[in-house]
Amino acid sequence: MKGLLLSVAALGVILLVLNFGYYQEWFRVKPLQYWSDFLKEKDDTAGEYAVKAQRYGISYTISMRVLDAIRKKNMTHAVILFEPNSYYRDSLHIYPNVHAPEPAVFYYYTGLEGVWTNSPNVNKANFLLRISRKGAALDTIRSPQHLQEILVRYKKYPPIL
Amino acid sequence: MPLIAFLLLLVCYLVTGYGILFLFRLQLKGAYTVALSFLLGLAVASFLPFLLQLLFVGITPFSVFGSLALAAIAFSGPVLYHIRKQGFAAFRRSLPRPSFEVRPYEIPFFVIIGFFIFVSIWRGYYLPPTSRDALSGPEAIAQVAVSEHTLINSFFGIDLWTTNNQFKSPFLISLQVIYKLAGFPFGQVWLSIVFVSITVFIYHALRERLHPLFAGLLLLLFVMTPEMYAYTFMILYDYSNMIFFFLSLYFLFAWTGTGAANQFYFSGFLMGIATYIRSETLALALLFLPLILLVQRRRKMPPKQVAVAIALFLLPSLLGYYLPSQLYIKYYLPVHYDIGGLVNSDLTSLRPLFQRYGDIFTHLLTGEFAIHLWGYIFYVAAILFVAEAIVLRRFNREARNWLYAVVVLYIGLGALGWLLPMMNLNETTKRAMFKMLPLVLFYLANNELLIRFSRAISRWESTPGKWGFAGAPASPKAGKAASAPTRSVLTKSGKTTTKPATPPRKKK
Repeated sequence: MKGLLLSVAALGVILLVLNFGYYQEWFRVKPLQYWSDFLKEKDDTAGEYAVKAQRYGISYTISMRVLDAIRKKNMTHAVILFEPNSYYRDSLHIYPNVHAPEPAVFYYYTGLEGVWTNSPNVNKANFLLRISRKGAALDTIRSPQHLQEILVRYKKYPPIL
Repeated sequence: MPLIAFLLLLVCYLVTGYGILFLFRLQLKGAYTVALSFLLGLAVASFLPFLLQLLFVGITPFSVFGSLALAAIAFSGPVLYHIRKQGFAAFRRSLPRPSFEVRPYEIPFFVIIGFFIFVSIWRGYYLPPTSRDALSGPEAIAQVAVSEHTLINSFFGIDLWTTNNQFKSPFLISLQVIYKLAGFPFGQVWLSIVFVSITVFIYHALRERLHPLFAGLLLLLFVMTPEMYAYTFMILYDYSNMIFFFLSLYFLFAWTGTGAANQFYFSGFLMGIATYIRSETLALALLFLPLILLVQRRRKMPPKQVAVAIALFLLPSLLGYYLPSQLYIKYYLPVHYDIGGLVNSDLTSLRPLFQRYGDIFTHLLTGEFAIHLWGYIFYVAAILFVAEAIVLRRFNREARNWLYAVVVLYIGLGALGWLLPMMNLNETTKRAMFKMLPLVLFYLANNELLIRFSRAISRWESTPGKWGFAGAPASPKAGKAASAPTRSVLTKSGKTTTKPATPPRKKK
């Protein structure tokens, strides 16, 4: 009987904690949501790419499209120049939903080298990734002069994460 | 195939970890032995690919799994020698017996904590690593290492000016390499071993001090720490660092009571692992020297012995700092990192130091943001601390030790944030605060009010009363966790004092 009473007390304490203040909101939004996700994910046949695309979002999807485009062009050493994220924030107002990955993360996603407009290696860039509300495009940087023109265009937008 | 590899790795950790426990001559209960063996084995594994790199050996499945097998054989050598000398039957008898008895009222806690563990394991397995600190450093290095067979790979040739994560400990890189080679594309499942092992360890440690009802509640509050829970399935350094830091203090504080040298040196070994994971832990280890010196002074140890003991205690931490942070970065990596250049250049100005202490208190320990990070565990601890201070006006030795650790951590993290301005408050210091959670938890486990309340419940539970079955004998094991050598008595003056539960024997 005492064991039963203590079991009821244990249950009561757990329910109290789960429904107390911020715990209630967190439990609903995180662990319970994770459980719902699990129920869907356990039957999911999605491969590594699909799971990553879902987890990393649009930045990963764009990066993989860049990889596809570079593969189609048969480029041996492509270096991608990204527009500054502050340009997406201040001019296009699509940040942070849409943002360019930092070069280290881009390399993790694709195995390709990327640079920002203020990178020490920016002169190596031979492609420009342009993102707009309509979509993404990969432009070839034709010459050092062309690269300088691009850099001047984005000069007032400092790169941010 | 990955499942078989996962199980084989588990066996490897168990054997390696048990070998280490045997070397330190630690005779622990079954649950502690198993949990610690997994954690120690995993810590050794986290060092091996890094060691291969230091020795210029290629990172291949053969070299990595071969080194894991060799480590398991090497660490189990003394155990095998012991078995050969004493016989297997004697060895079996020396193994800790599983003596865990589940009470019905523990089951609700097991169910809810099991739910949290299950969800965490699934997310760790199903989802790729997410944190930016992992993706822009260790995870990327590990992924490239699998194809290029070296930790010093093409990742270091790209533009890395936006990150310094490539210079962080090889702990994460090594474990990610092992699990990617074992067939887990996202690695990361090793984190579940860490999570489950420490949860088992902590529950048993809490249950030794408190009634299972309180042990379950405290563990639930610990697991339900929103920010920390996320890092049970998202690889980064701080969760693992917290665990080895806490375990080190657990054995250090055990040593302050028993004086057993093996606990002391084991504590130093664990602190070394914590330092290997996060190099700044070395500074925190140094802050525990006053406590160690105080205990040694009380024991009247000769100065030479004190110096040797402290040197041996700090040696693993110094190695854990030197190998990844000095040797590897300076002499192996193609790009260099000037740690000295990160130090605050204006050390005469103390205002930022006090500002940091203030910010930690107002932002990370109290207020809405703190609740979103840690839930209410710090508030519960504060209330019980004040209650203990007012009602009992004293703290027992264990509680004092854990409170000392809390203060040391607070002082240490504030000072580190001031010395190294790149340790920002909202990211680095926030995650470093994980270390405070088990310290607070074990202060609560040694809070005299909770202990007395535990004993009261245990006594009530073990005595047949009107709530019990008529004539049913009380279970002799009930209330074992917090059996009652003393009972609290409210005196006429309103003070609570303790008296022995059984009448003291008359002096002859």
